[in-house]
Amino acid sequence: MKGRIPIRIANKRAYIWDVDDLDKVRSEHHICGLLVGTLPHLSQQNVFLGLPAQLTPEEATLLVEKEYAVFVDDTNAYPEPSLSQFQQWNAEQKRYIEHQRAALESENVKSSEVAQLVVSEEAVRKRKERELRRQQKALELRRLQEGEGDGAVHAILSQPIPTPSADVQALLSGLRPTTSSAPAQYNICIAASSSSLEWYSPESCSYSTIDAARTAGIWDFPSNLQDRARYGVFRDLWEQGYFLGGGIRFGGDYLVYPGDPLRYHSHFCATVIESPTRTIRPMEIVAHGRLGTATKKTHLFCGWDDEKKTVSYVSIEWAGFG
Amino acid sequence: MLEIHPSYPALASLIEKYPAHRGSLFQTYNDILLAQQWRDVQVIDLGDCRRGVLRGKRPKTATDPESLLHVIPCSLAESISIAWIRNVFSALDNPHSVYLAVVSDDSSIVYYKLSPGIVKPSI
Repeated sequence: MKGRIPIRIANKRAYIWDVDDLDKVRSEHHICGLLVGTLPHLSQQNVFLGLPAQLTPEEATLLVEKEYAVFVDDTNAYPEPSLSQFQQWNAEQKRYIEHQRAALESENVKSSEVAQLVVSEEAVRKRKERELRRQQKALELRRLQEGEGDGAVHAILSQPIPTPSADVQALLSGLRPTTSSAPAQYNICIAASSSSLEWYSPESCSYSTIDAARTAGIWDFPSNLQDRARYGVFRDLWEQGYFLGGGIRFGGDYLVYPGDPLRYHSHFCATVIESPTRTIRPMEIVAHGRLGTATKKTHLFCGWDDEKKTVSYVSIEWAGFG
Repeated sequence: MLEIHPSYPALASLIEKYPAHRGSLFQTYNDILLAQQWRDVQVIDLGDCRRGVLRGKRPKTATDPESLLHVIPCSLAESISIAWIRNVFSALDNPHSVYLAVVSDDSSIVYYKLSPGIVKPSI
């Protein structure tokens, strides 16, 4: 499972959150996905979208089946933090608040610099080092105060650890600004990516096969004949080297590109037909064929045979007369 | 009515054999022969598909005028399927394409080219 791209599953939808993963999926595996991320304050924006990229069920299933990716059950990848993890997080929050206060009081430091300091990884690392030193000092100090004190320290350390939830509540109440007499204004920074949190553990809820993900209840595509037909056609065209996009613009199920859609026009508009005996109305042939001719595309009827698990294609074009 | 038309003798046996398709066969035959000016038009009994189909060559002025082409008459109200299309191709000994003539009740006809497999647009 190592080296495979994590596809985060939320509410049975598949997302890629890492731009390098998206690059790899597109350039190496011919899977495009669709950027769906907006700024929280501009949820109506629809021109320049960003991460995450949402994958269609077919795309996600294919990446897992071909062993390029794994499904990560994103909801369960964040278990409740342990006491020490939470204390550490809490201490960092407090330090951040202190840092802001100090910065606000000093006129020399501009607010943008404050934000930068906090965001940079270097700052986080330094903060952790400082904290470690401080803890060690405190421990030494306590030991000195207690005289020989070894026994006393052991007594402190061996105190039963209270249940996290109760303790977390206590710690949270400590975070509230009302308890302090200092200026109560500060920003809470929520990082865009929460995968750096100490307690993030995707390993326990990663699934390298569709069956495993289905058993875990996070994924159910393909679940019926229509899904199997769509997936069978998608995989067959993908295996022939085509890129596939959504077909809604041309009234089909997929648009079939000979290369990356950023570089090529599609040559085909594909319709999935679930079985060799499913009814096709001649009017469908006329409508698809005519539109395809007007847009320089051949229309593809992709007939799925669920018994043989094969696809047979029929290409449709206007005859040029009549 | 049909019986007194000059085209009737050429189609009579298939019209009697497959009465359900007589309208589309009759209209397509006349259109291909008289409007589209195809040459050497033959009517073939495609027993596997239970209908008559046409075979002929496009006018001398067309590109590639000597290739033998097939036209399958079909009513707009019919229901066909992928299996039906495959059946047509195999009954005709797998040509690289056939023309489906879709005939509506008001006798207007449109022709669409069907090819097995993934065939790039011609332009």
